[in-house]
Amino acid sequence: MKIFYQTFGKAKKKFSSFLNRFFKKKRTRIGIYGPPNAGKTTLANRIARDWTGDAVGPVSEIPHETRRARRKEDIIISGANGATVTIDIVDTPGVTTKVDYHEFLEFGLEKDEAIIRAREATEGVAEAMHWLREDIDGVIYMLDATIDPFEQVNIMMVGIIESRKLPVIIVANKIDLPDASPARIRSAFPQHPVIAISGLEGKNTEELYETMIERFG
Amino acid sequence: MPHKCTKCGREYKDGSTEILRGCGSCGGKKFLYVRKDDIHKDVLEEKPVGEIAGEAGAEVLEVRTGQDKGVEMYDRVETIRIVSPGTYELNLEKMAEGDERIISVGKEGVYNIDLLSFSRDEKKRKRRKR
Repeated sequence: MKIFYQTFGKAKKKFSSFLNRFFKKKRTRIGIYGPPNAGKTTLANRIARDWTGDAVGPVSEIPHETRRARRKEDIIISGANGATVTIDIVDTPGVTTKVDYHEFLEFGLEKDEAIIRAREATEGVAEAMHWLREDIDGVIYMLDATIDPFEQVNIMMVGIIESRKLPVIIVANKIDLPDASPARIRSAFPQHPVIAISGLEGKNTEELYETMIERFG
Repeated sequence: MPHKCTKCGREYKDGSTEILRGCGSCGGKKFLYVRKDDIHKDVLEEKPVGEIAGEAGAEVLEVRTGQDKGVEMYDRVETIRIVSPGTYELNLEKMAEGDERIISVGKEGVYNIDLLSFSRDEKKRKRRKR
């Protein structure tokens, strides 16, 4: 009898893991990448608030406010036609090739504080690159539309993302500002969908959500 | 869409990061996205690449390599250079390849190699993540 229960238990376990494989909720990890101060955390907060009511992290005008990757899980986004996608949003530290503490002094930080911030920001970039390799299924690459997108770091990052064959949506942020030029971003990356939004005001986020369902679903 | 060097017409695949160092053949810094149909137009119609760009209404991508120092950065072995306390230069291409860390400090030629980061088992790390 004991043997029967043991084999029965084993079979049950096998069967449930078999079912799980088919019916497990499909979940996609989306990393928000981009240079510092592009508005990554603002967008992560906007997405989290729109669909779950929570926030992801604090924002600041001083670059490198986000120095550790933050994750918000199980966000279900639904589109106009009823299609949905379940995603984990990973808000990553701004990726850059140079971190200099002098930059933070202009924002009124003390020297010691600025040096610590620079060190943490450097670790943050390393962490962001680590997640890109190990744990990300799709990328929202975020750019400040008021700044020239033809920067080496952007072209390199988009190249790295392409080489990893990850689906990417390019977001031209800050269209609420008068000198924003999403067209310039479109001409820089004609090979990818570019969505112009204002993360701060929530302008045109519907189009972004529809594109996310389409690209990441 | 592939890039084409506007100076010599050499073709680069989409997403190629090689062009960040400038064109491998002529050192040109300006590149153009060319449509597949137009890719051989410069040779067939004997037009400069820039002219084809004008016809197609595409913008020319100028890669800014900054000072010569910036170019050489991509040939460096280190992942992170500590220029001085609080000032860092990061080699994103190296970071994208793996977690192995070589850190250079101050002057050229001084390196710290994080041996532990090279010995980590890739499989084990993957398992831990799941």
